[in-house]
Amino acid sequence: MRKYKKTIIGSSLLLILLLVSCLYPYYGPVDFNKQIFVKDEHGNVIDRAPFPPSEKHWLGTTRNGEELHWLLLYGVKFTLITAFCVAALRVILGGFFGMFLSLWAPFLKSYFKDFFLTMRYIPSILIAFVLMIPIVGAPNDVAISSIVTYQLIILVFIGFPSVTLFVADISDELFKTSFVQSSLLMGAGKIHIIKRQLVPYMRSYGILFTVQQILSTLQITMQLSIFGLFLGGLNRAGVFGYEDASGRQKPASLSNEWAGLIGQNFTEFALAPWIVFAPVLGFFLVILIVNMIKKELEENLNGFEIVKKKGKKKAVSLQSEKHSSSADFVFVEKGRLER
Amino acid sequence: MKQLLHLLIRFGLILSGFLFIFNLPLIVGIGENSIEIHFKLFWDVVKSDLQFLLQIKDAMYLGYIKELDIAGSYQYTMTILIVSLVSIILIAMVVAIFIMLSPEKLKDRLKSGINFFEAVPDLLVIFLFQFFVITLYRATGLKFLQLYGVFGEKPYFVPIVTVSFLPLFLLLQFLLQVITEEQNQLYVHYAKAKGIGRLRILLVHMIRNVFPLIVLQLRTVIWVLLSNIYLVEFMFNINGFTRQFEKIIYRGGDFASLIACLLMLSLPLMVMEAAGWLISKRIKGKEVVSL
Repeated sequence: MRKYKKTIIGSSLLLILLLVSCLYPYYGPVDFNKQIFVKDEHGNVIDRAPFPPSEKHWLGTTRNGEELHWLLLYGVKFTLITAFCVAALRVILGGFFGMFLSLWAPFLKSYFKDFFLTMRYIPSILIAFVLMIPIVGAPNDVAISSIVTYQLIILVFIGFPSVTLFVADISDELFKTSFVQSSLLMGAGKIHIIKRQLVPYMRSYGILFTVQQILSTLQITMQLSIFGLFLGGLNRAGVFGYEDASGRQKPASLSNEWAGLIGQNFTEFALAPWIVFAPVLGFFLVILIVNMIKKELEENLNGFEIVKKKGKKKAVSLQSEKHSSSADFVFVEKGRLER
Repeated sequence: MKQLLHLLIRFGLILSGFLFIFNLPLIVGIGENSIEIHFKLFWDVVKSDLQFLLQIKDAMYLGYIKELDIAGSYQYTMTILIVSLVSIILIAMVVAIFIMLSPEKLKDRLKSGINFFEAVPDLLVIFLFQFFVITLYRATGLKFLQLYGVFGEKPYFVPIVTVSFLPLFLLLQFLLQVITEEQNQLYVHYAKAKGIGRLRILLVHMIRNVFPLIVLQLRTVIWVLLSNIYLVEFMFNINGFTRQFEKIIYRGGDFASLIACLLMLSLPLMVMEAAGWLISKRIKGKEVVSL
């Protein structure tokens, strides 16, 4: 009854994109066909980058003279991997913590909510901005690995409270259901309940969460890049031809990751819109694919729930009928329980 | 007494959460090749921040914020927010009513069209509007749409349209979904059976019942609006409230100013939340009475 056609197609498209991007060193030019000046046969400069999209440059070039389609192919792996890792980490950490909150420490839940109340009222882009400025705001001598780790920590942290609270709410709901209650009455431990009853539910929810979090991560990396906070930090070389009075260069993304490409070039927009439109449209396509997957998963879950609810209604009516006819039984049970 | 204690604990937690979140960069320091964790530094800074917050009588308190053009820029940003919010609500209502009254086939097509906008990233919308304004200017040579906020100018029209484009579809999608669900309610069937017209049922009965849900949803709309305004003000170089906020961060303003700014920024959200709480309380109260 459940269909996963779109999910399979979408995820395989993304996988292919990722693979193609990972294999870039085997087929793509190392310098992205860098060409800043076009000279005629006498050596006079007749044109300079950025070049608009044409037969020679499919998507145009950047101001550095690098061809955009190679750049995009090279950079997409960082975007996708980051989005996926952040989303997965958020869901895994949030899932564990949320279940812990709802099963072992329900009293902590309201305190947890209060502690992270700020996150509810301040748009996450602002928080991410404040948190990332000290590390990524300017070029520094720190190793890339630690910058990336820091950024991942921040990105995971931003989404962590909401996922945790959501998981806690869901497992609270599940805990009230009759099947969990009855196994609790029969003496099942909490670990057992998690293993047998919550995890099977959480698996389908978890996938949906992950997809949702991928979406939000994509959005936030894109927004952060506008403020010059690129994934993987800044490139020392900067963008060609942009130096302010003190010789400082306009920041450029080190990884050539899509969000970074948007962020480093958005000021070019009035002159060379293609430099910005190419990565933004790329983002749009990826988001469209992810959204398609999300929708199908949601539909599946909802359909599942409707079926469940119908089943439940029947069960309830059956129960009430039984209940009225077996009053004696209840008495006996009560006496036993009191003893 | 117990309630008071609880309230105090909550307040303390909110404050400590705030301090924790905004001092997080200090805990996770970056070393040459690894992530370092220093709790000591973090603790010291948190303590000094807290002390700073408590010195209300000091003349320097919020001194930084007084230098900036807070009142004017805040007014500007809030004007944009409120105008876009009101226009979003009005347009979404009208369009939703029209879509609900349109024939089935068209309705489905329109609905899927609206769902499509769910996936559009906000930056794409901002860039498209920018592109549109620039091409308009190039084609006609007339500068009737102000885009950038250079020389202290504060454009209204383009930012409002840009900012409210996506939230409009968000609200519209929600409205359609809610109204469609409401159509299966018994009272709607009853009214239909009584021979009341579709328009009248929709306008008089259903909108009234859907209204609380809309208020609850407006929180999300404001949230999206706020982050969009932030982006637009940065990208179009407009001297709005978020600019002041940035100045505070970049020039190392004090912690109290940061808190004050963030509080002012999240004020509309809190107002909306309060309104939602009041309304849901009223509804629940009614239900209790009716039971």
